[in-house]
Amino acid sequence: MELSNIEKLLEKYFEGETTLSEEEKLKVYFTGESVPSHLERYKDLFQFFSNESQVTATSEVNISTHRVSWHTWIGVAASIALIVGLFMTNLLPGADPEKGPLLVMEGDLGTIDDPEIALQKTKEALTLVAKLMNEGKKDLVYLNEFDTAKKDLVYLNEFQDAKNKLIK
Amino acid sequence: MKERAFITLTNGFKDKLYRLAKRLLVSNEEAEDATQEVLLKLWRNKKKMAEYKNVEAFAMTMTKNYCYDKLKAKESGNLKIVHSNYKDERPSLQREIEARDSLDWVGKIMDRLPEQQRMIIQLRDIEQYDNAEIAEMLEMNETAVRVALSRGRKIIRQELLKKHNYGVV
Repeated sequence: MELSNIEKLLEKYFEGETTLSEEEKLKVYFTGESVPSHLERYKDLFQFFSNESQVTATSEVNISTHRVSWHTWIGVAASIALIVGLFMTNLLPGADPEKGPLLVMEGDLGTIDDPEIALQKTKEALTLVAKLMNEGKKDLVYLNEFDTAKKDLVYLNEFQDAKNKLIK
Repeated sequence: MKERAFITLTNGFKDKLYRLAKRLLVSNEEAEDATQEVLLKLWRNKKKMAEYKNVEAFAMTMTKNYCYDKLKAKESGNLKIVHSNYKDERPSLQREIEARDSLDWVGKIMDRLPEQQRMIIQLRDIEQYDNAEIAEMLEMNETAVRVALSRGRKIIRQELLKKHNYGVV
């Protein structure tokens, strides 16, 4: 395209009066090779525009809101129904007449009026707990292994010594 | 509307949303957040989508509004965030550096324009929308778009001239 034509177009361009197709012509011209030196500064501008139109987002946009399928919901509903059902059959008074209702009626908390018997009962309960505790504790003997293993790690102190020397 | 149809529809202009957001917010990450947010909003309102005459223009307007909100929040929070997009680029030839530098100048000049002019130049010179479309997206009238476009371009020309004459911007 003729130089005078380009200059005219440029003038129109800065007035904001060029059409899109004229702007395209300018873009083609200025991203090309033969641009006279007095117009060279516009090369960057049009080069910039065409570069910028190639920029794309690096990360994929994700719109799928994690939806739980109806299978899962059926599973959840079924398990809730099962648990509730199990409790209900046990808790309903009179459901099992031999054992009697599991639910303790209000007011009857097994309170003992005689202090002597109460003391006895409490002691019994506490010894039971203590016995069970001791049994459980026996299984924890292997925790001593930690102590023995820790002793083997004494040589780590060497590091400390070396470090202290370095600091000096 | 099914998810796949939505994705194909939005893929047509997703990058344009991103570039507009990036022009306003500068940082890559924030621009990506903005794009994601706008698309999610569109997806949630997909039932109303048929009512919009032009989904693309509508999404552009949403992006603009989202970015304005972000910028306002930053101002009022009195936060000053320096956007630097860290890149690990190997040193290239001197000429390439120079070429990239002078393109960076143009970018810097653009970043200093008022937001409205920046957006209009982005939409017109980079995305090649016509003034009527831009007017719709930015909720302005066409004459105002043309005036702002011309003003923005002239500022860029002035700055380029300064740089050309003194080597400084």
